[in-house]
Amino acid sequence: MGFPNASGDLSSEMEVDAFRRLFPLQFHERHLAESIRPDGRPFGRARDTSIALGAVASANGSALVKIGSTTMLAAIKMEVMTPLLESPDEGCIAIDFHMPPICSPIVRPGRPAEAAPVVSKQLSDTIASSGMIDLKELSLVSGKAAWMAYLDIYCLNADGALFDTALLSAVAALSHLQIPAVSLNDDGKVVLMSEEDGEMVAKEPVNKEKRKLTLKSIPFSLTCLLHKNYILADPTAEEESVMETLVTIVLDSSSQLISLYKPGGSVLAYTSAIQDCVALTRQRVKELQSVLDEANSAMEVE
Amino acid sequence: MAGKAGTTPTTYSPSPTTKKTKAPLFKDDDVDWVRPDGRGFPQCRPAFFRSGAVNAASGSAYAEFGNTKVIVSVFGPRESKKAMMYSDVGRLNCNVSYTTFATPTRGQGSDHKEFTAMLHKALEGAIMMETFPKTTVDVFALVLESGGSDLPVVISCASLALADAGIMMYDLVAAVSVSCLGKNLVIDPILEEENCQDGSLMITCMPSRYEITQLTVTGDWSTPKINEGMQLCLDACAKLAKIMRSCLKAATDSQE
Repeated sequence: MGFPNASGDLSSEMEVDAFRRLFPLQFHERHLAESIRPDGRPFGRARDTSIALGAVASANGSALVKIGSTTMLAAIKMEVMTPLLESPDEGCIAIDFHMPPICSPIVRPGRPAEAAPVVSKQLSDTIASSGMIDLKELSLVSGKAAWMAYLDIYCLNADGALFDTALLSAVAALSHLQIPAVSLNDDGKVVLMSEEDGEMVAKEPVNKEKRKLTLKSIPFSLTCLLHKNYILADPTAEEESVMETLVTIVLDSSSQLISLYKPGGSVLAYTSAIQDCVALTRQRVKELQSVLDEANSAMEVE
Repeated sequence: MAGKAGTTPTTYSPSPTTKKTKAPLFKDDDVDWVRPDGRGFPQCRPAFFRSGAVNAASGSAYAEFGNTKVIVSVFGPRESKKAMMYSDVGRLNCNVSYTTFATPTRGQGSDHKEFTAMLHKALEGAIMMETFPKTTVDVFALVLESGGSDLPVVISCASLALADAGIMMYDLVAAVSVSCLGKNLVIDPILEEENCQDGSLMITCMPSRYEITQLTVTGDWSTPKINEGMQLCLDACAKLAKIMRSCLKAATDSQE
């Protein structure tokens, strides 16, 4: 990149792929000047999104989510714990985001990706502060037993907008979660109620039926990329690596702001740019809500 | 909300952990017992393969055998680690890990050292290492869900991912295992069957060359049983390789 003019001269004779790799910024700016992105999307359009619920048979709730080619698998396993002293009537949710080495050439085994703990923390914060889940619903016996929901999200294919996909898969898995029916056994331990079990009368049921969590105000997010005066919604990994300023906005289903991240970057975000991002997120929330509703109603039909 | 290190309360799974008291799959003299999923003894689960599952990788494949679900990504050939000595043949680097929700009780999702080593040994004989000198090919596998016969599925899936990445191989590597349960040999065992097996045998081979890259036998076997088991595996490997090959063909056809 030592010769700023070199790219201009070469671009006419160079192959597109070579130009893309050697002068990625110029390659993208050429597209932006024509009001289009390399994958053919207009600036404000997010990629196609799909949700498949119940992808993991061994989990209590699970979802496979794709935004473009970014793919994530979220699954919830319910375990029993003794509730904390300060909150005897509340269960707990432990959220973990994993980037295994299969998902991206940057991640190597034994050397975890830097992005993973950051996204993990953002997810926990967002889900806690959105008030989506009433932790009291996870209580079993006050002061004695409560549910611990382990929500693990695996990134299977990393192609940008990691937080958006992770949040959507977390929310989808929570909406698919079925809390199993359990009872107390003689040792005071909580065990699964088995249907063919004849001794059920002797046991004390704690949670009689399988049930779902009630989710209030579901959070949805959209990541936008700021570059000069352009705002690109839902960037791919390539766009994220070339232009580095990201803004992530999380709104709930009634368009209330839950959180806003702007982790540095070379572009300063002006009020108008942030407002534009929020407007894009509002549209996106409606899309995501309908995709999630569709996935849930498809499950009910089955 | 997420438990901080040190303050995380200990938890346990409500599902019964006393598996040993569970009735065995079959009685000792009962020759006509039915497998839990209704298959015949010499019948494999339907195999599903799809190549190109991860676009960030040079090559990748997804495999699903019943409840066993696996993704393998191949990266490279790329620069070897700095600490590596000069080598005029390429290197193969493998890793197998499990998700925390892969097993019936929640695990730690850590690397599986034994399978990592086995995967490496099963593949290295099939790859033409001299075609990528000084560099490394990384083969990373993630078991999304464990439903039995995990290692053979990982190996077959990995060889498909290598082919998808365009790494030169002598042949595809197909892997199949059989379990010995009492007097019977059951092919492609599921988790329940593996838990009460008396012995197991796994063959990874290159079917078109009729060469074996790895053979593991554990537990109690008589010589005729080993012969029978090997023949079963080799036949199944040949069929499996056909399915894998048709998956690769379908992928190239759809590109054109």
